[in-house]
Amino acid sequence: MRRHALAVLIFGAAAAAPLAIRDGFFLDSLILILMWGAVSGAWNVAGGYAGQVSLGHSAFFGIGAYSAALMATRWNASPWLGMLVGAVVATGAGLIIGYLSNRLKGPYFALATIAFSQVLLIVASRWRAFTAGSEGVPVPFRPGFWTLGFASKVSWVYLVLGLALAVYLVEVYLERSRIGYRLAGVREDEDAAEALGIPSRRLKVMAVAASAALTSVCGTLWAQYVGFVDPFYVFSVDLSVRFALNTIIGGIGTAMGPFIGSILITSLETYLRAAFSDVRGGLVGIYLIIYGCLLIVVVRFIPQGLVGWFGQRFRAMGFHARA
Amino acid sequence: MSAVPQLIVSTVLLGGIYALIAVGLTLIFGIMRVVNFAHGEFLMLGMYFAFWAFTLWGIDPYFTLVVAVPLFFAVGLGVYALVMRGVIHASHNVQIFTTVGLSTALQNLALVLWTGDFRFVRPWHSGVVLRLGGAAFNLSQVVAFTVAVLFTLSLFAFMKWTHAGRVMRATAQDGEAATLMGIDTDRVYRLAFAIGIACVGVAGVLISPLYSVYPTAGLQFVLLAYVVVVLGGLGDMVGALLGSLIVAAVEVIGSYVFGSAWKEVIYFVLFIAVLVLRPAGLFGQRGAEALGV
Repeated sequence: MRRHALAVLIFGAAAAAPLAIRDGFFLDSLILILMWGAVSGAWNVAGGYAGQVSLGHSAFFGIGAYSAALMATRWNASPWLGMLVGAVVATGAGLIIGYLSNRLKGPYFALATIAFSQVLLIVASRWRAFTAGSEGVPVPFRPGFWTLGFASKVSWVYLVLGLALAVYLVEVYLERSRIGYRLAGVREDEDAAEALGIPSRRLKVMAVAASAALTSVCGTLWAQYVGFVDPFYVFSVDLSVRFALNTIIGGIGTAMGPFIGSILITSLETYLRAAFSDVRGGLVGIYLIIYGCLLIVVVRFIPQGLVGWFGQRFRAMGFHARA
Repeated sequence: MSAVPQLIVSTVLLGGIYALIAVGLTLIFGIMRVVNFAHGEFLMLGMYFAFWAFTLWGIDPYFTLVVAVPLFFAVGLGVYALVMRGVIHASHNVQIFTTVGLSTALQNLALVLWTGDFRFVRPWHSGVVLRLGGAAFNLSQVVAFTVAVLFTLSLFAFMKWTHAGRVMRATAQDGEAATLMGIDTDRVYRLAFAIGIACVGVAGVLISPLYSVYPTAGLQFVLLAYVVVVLGGLGDMVGALLGSLIVAAVEVIGSYVFGSAWKEVIYFVLFIAVLVLRPAGLFGQRGAEALGV
């Protein structure tokens, strides 16, 4: 239990908060924090645990968002079904990207993933007959569980909290299971892992595909919550960077890292958006300047991220709780 | 068939400009072994520099160029000292995210300072159309091409015949051996980074009359420059020249055949295909990508 102390604290607080606070702005921030935390956790499966740093994960996010939105608008299908279809398509795309990760290392892999997400962006924004092109797709709001339409933000908090927990459990599994240890072996030294008989290629492909499927599920829920899919947003490089950024600042390769990163960054973002909303639109960009600088400082001075850094300090002080 | 001369001229003109962007990127990679994800942002800054000089003081971009070279060289030195120096021996991931962070910060600095509006630099020469044997092109394109080619060639000459160039090539081949020969590699990296940034800054000033200026303008060009550089083999300067012509040809012919909307898809698919089938580039040595060099 002590190992999960941080998770219990944070997810417990998120579960309790809507009981006490009903303020719409607060609940909205909470949903976004959990949402971006969950996607970043999904990124962490490939980027952190398998060591395959992608800068094109928005591709999978967009696949999830578009599948549900298009199936709902065109065939009146349930978003849950759209979520499933999105996850299947994203898994397929993840297998392709995972295959690329076996051929390409470091910056080459990152470049290939950017190119992949850009191709999807162009297709989504230009293929007017199918995707409605650059105008984007409004997601119809139909109340009910089966149609994923909740008027109450409190329901959304619990739904997204469930998603965050699921991602967290996947991450914990990757830390504690046999498969997780093998993956760590592949990440740290692929040749040594191969020599021990670990099928490193297959493991990496599986990790990237699983990460893609989880990211796509997050994309579906996000689209249903926000109610609109904009190709230039869901497939953007900025979004991919955001997933990586949360994870790195919180702690890459740690289960709670992405959530800690999301708490810091999403709340900074929502605060600055609210503070500058009526001054001048462009000033909102200030938080992104801060992000960029933060990223440079964190990777240089505390590459293990906040969770890793505090974990070390705690252990040095004689505590043994793992974050 | 009447379109052929036009296609060839367009390809060559575009290729010359892409070459200048790509040569800086490949120089930085070849010598520092760092993929600069913020390269496009310096292009964007070059475009804004030309825009403000033109709008505030009415200075033609081609005169701005004289100031832009030392200015961006100095910017390169500063960024190297502040940001790049500390991560030059760090892992790939640290380097990737350092330059990604730099890119995010610069893009949004431009957004906050100058808003997201599309801006245009329209000096007199961007409206002058020249005709030559069935092909038409405007004067700005020709000047941009000529200056870009002159820059690229002088960089080649610098690398080949000067002492500093030889030192840089030695460091690119084997950093450790270079250190043993008494080369101060830190100075070499600093110089390489500053030259690379100066090239892309100049490219930004040169293309400002041809494209619109906005905070994320660098992204499309830099993705393109990566295509060029990967095609030519990361770190290979002659390869970057050939890669520029190939990408320009794909872009020009692609938009002629399929319409300009889909040309980007064509070169991204080409990019991924090259990465998968021949990651060391069309002319590079096999296996370079697996070693991460």
